[in-house]
Amino acid sequence: MADSYISDNEPTTRTLLRRVLDTEDSRTPRRRQSTRAGAQRTLLETPFSMMLRSQTKTAARRHSYRRRSSGRLAHIKTSGYLKEQTPRTLLENILQTAPESSMVMPEPVVKPVPAPQVVQSPSQESSQGSLELQLPELKPPTSLAPSLLASGKRKQSLRLSAFQQGMDQELLLSQGPFTEPQGNATATSFTSSLNLTFATPFLPQSVQRPGLARRPPTRRPVDVGAFLKDVQDSVALALPGDSLKSPVATLPPDTVLEDTQPFSQPLTGHSPSVHHSLSCPPVSTERIVSSRTRSRRPGLQNNRKAEEVDALAMEFPNTGNSISGEDGLEPLQDGVDKEVEKTVQEILDLSEVKEAAGAQRSTRAEEPGRDTKVIEADGSWGATEAKEPKGSSQLDMDTTGRAGSSELASSTPEFLQARQLELLEPAPPTSTAVQQSIPGPSLSSEPLLARLPPRTRTTGPRLRQDPYKTGLSHYAKLFSFYAKMPVEKKALEMVEKCLDKYFQHLCDDLDIFSAHAGRKTVRLEDLELLMRRQGLVTDQVSLHVLVEQHLPLEYRQLLIPCAFSGNTVFPVQ
Amino acid sequence: METVEEEVEDQERFSYEQRLKAAVHYTVGCLCEEVASDQGVQFSRQTIAAISEVTFRQCENFAKDLEMFARHAKRSTINTEDVKLLARRSNSLQKYITEKNEEIAQFNIERKAKKKQRLEHENKDSAGPAEAGGGESEN
Repeated sequence: MADSYISDNEPTTRTLLRRVLDTEDSRTPRRRQSTRAGAQRTLLETPFSMMLRSQTKTAARRHSYRRRSSGRLAHIKTSGYLKEQTPRTLLENILQTAPESSMVMPEPVVKPVPAPQVVQSPSQESSQGSLELQLPELKPPTSLAPSLLASGKRKQSLRLSAFQQGMDQELLLSQGPFTEPQGNATATSFTSSLNLTFATPFLPQSVQRPGLARRPPTRRPVDVGAFLKDVQDSVALALPGDSLKSPVATLPPDTVLEDTQPFSQPLTGHSPSVHHSLSCPPVSTERIVSSRTRSRRPGLQNNRKAEEVDALAMEFPNTGNSISGEDGLEPLQDGVDKEVEKTVQEILDLSEVKEAAGAQRSTRAEEPGRDTKVIEADGSWGATEAKEPKGSSQLDMDTTGRAGSSELASSTPEFLQARQLELLEPAPPTSTAVQQSIPGPSLSSEPLLARLPPRTRTTGPRLRQDPYKTGLSHYAKLFSFYAKMPVEKKALEMVEKCLDKYFQHLCDDLDIFSAHAGRKTVRLEDLELLMRRQGLVTDQVSLHVLVEQHLPLEYRQLLIPCAFSGNTVFPVQ
Repeated sequence: METVEEEVEDQERFSYEQRLKAAVHYTVGCLCEEVASDQGVQFSRQTIAAISEVTFRQCENFAKDLEMFARHAKRSTINTEDVKLLARRSNSLQKYITEKNEEIAQFNIERKAKKKQRLEHENKDSAGPAEAGGGESEN
């Protein structure tokens, strides 16, 4: 009779789960109870115990278990409760006793399929008894779904399917930045493996606290095909190999770590357009990346970085914007770059640097030279020449000035994240600052728009421009989001341009500040000075306050080291 | 007691500020008159008042910025470098300032050169004691 409970052939949920518990090694809290159970076992070993009402089952089971496996003391106590428990509690027990193992295993590919089925028809579990052993290992969240279903919450299953849908979409999105060097071939495998990696981290939150669960954001799937095609084109372009290739290549792995940065691949396409005249040591890229995470405290060395970023910033379509950009940049650049340019070549380089604003498609130096001569003739040229004989002490300022404009291109994306919040605040003063510094932005709009179509035709320059442009477009999207009303495309473009000028101006200022202090690297003090000029940091509001207000803890930790309590979690999980 | 003194100080500062503002207003008025006569346009009173107010506030900003720049360069005195940094935004202003700076620098150099020449003359002409006296006076 007692055995009948155990040896019943109908594979109900309860029995199967019980079997799982039996076969699983128990851990942690149950162990103490197991010792007590062992003590009880000896007491109730007599056949007289069989007669007891509630104890009969446990004793009988104990007998059977002893027959089965004498060593499993732990289950005795637990099995005593089994009959009274629901499948939900059984699953909880399983989870507590389940051995930990890697979530991402090749066999789990099978798991997502049977898991939903388990949800719907418990009768199928009989056929998957062997799989259930793996259930707690691989898919505890999904296995909890049946328990939740049993409790009558239909929403959970829907959420699961909706989540998986969203996950697939996310996979498509994440394929872009994550699978850059792999191409299409590995995409599917990556997808399938991603299926699991994303499932476990996301679902538990929603399952454990169903009230707090959020629907995954529905995003439009990225046109992966076009993107990968661009990647291949850029790779093909990058084959000629250039000085930038190696430094740029260091960026992707680092940028991947950050937020979804799409610069990773397109940067490789920058190489063909790099100016051979400019030397770009790879060290600077690391600085760029480091400045990404620590924009407040970057270890930038403007001298080298300038040229390299210069090359990056070079590849913009030749737009009339360059003319106004020149004008706009000239006031910025002039004070810094005025002294040293003695040779025309140097001046051409300068002009190239100035074109970082939104400048030309510079395949070679002649093109910039052509434009810049026109612009230089405007006004500052004469002043520059007049000031040539100034001492070499200005040389630093020049290079830093060069750095200023050019580091904008790459530092712009880096500054994006860190300055996200700051940008939103100075958004109104931004336009005024821009208007102050740039004499004629209205002039640039028409020629810029006119030049846009030729830009999109060729894939090479577009790729070169992509990381810079995507950074700006990211901000433009933020702008359109916070505008709370539909924004025209032209307006967005104008916003992008303004942001462009704004960031360049900011970086120029940083440059100048650091040079003013006789340094070649931009430091925290420079940034603080900049923020003070912006009005973000005042006598009442210090930088510390802003850091605490806006930065997440990880970043805040870097700037304001705070002591942690040093707790350790027991048991080690 | 202290508060009374503070109040008095505040009032003094306020009156001082008012006088400064008045002075700025007057200067701005004069300049505007010049421009008006040159260009043949009229300036309304409100315009002049607005310009003077803006000038005054901007001067305050300049002063704060100059102080920040000097402190940023770890100096306690405001330098021409700080002024140039301040004026970098405006192209023409920057040019103007740098030109002036060069003029002044050249003037200083010339003055130093003249002084040196005078020193040399004195040294050649005068005897030993005069040299010592001249050297001391120079130093």
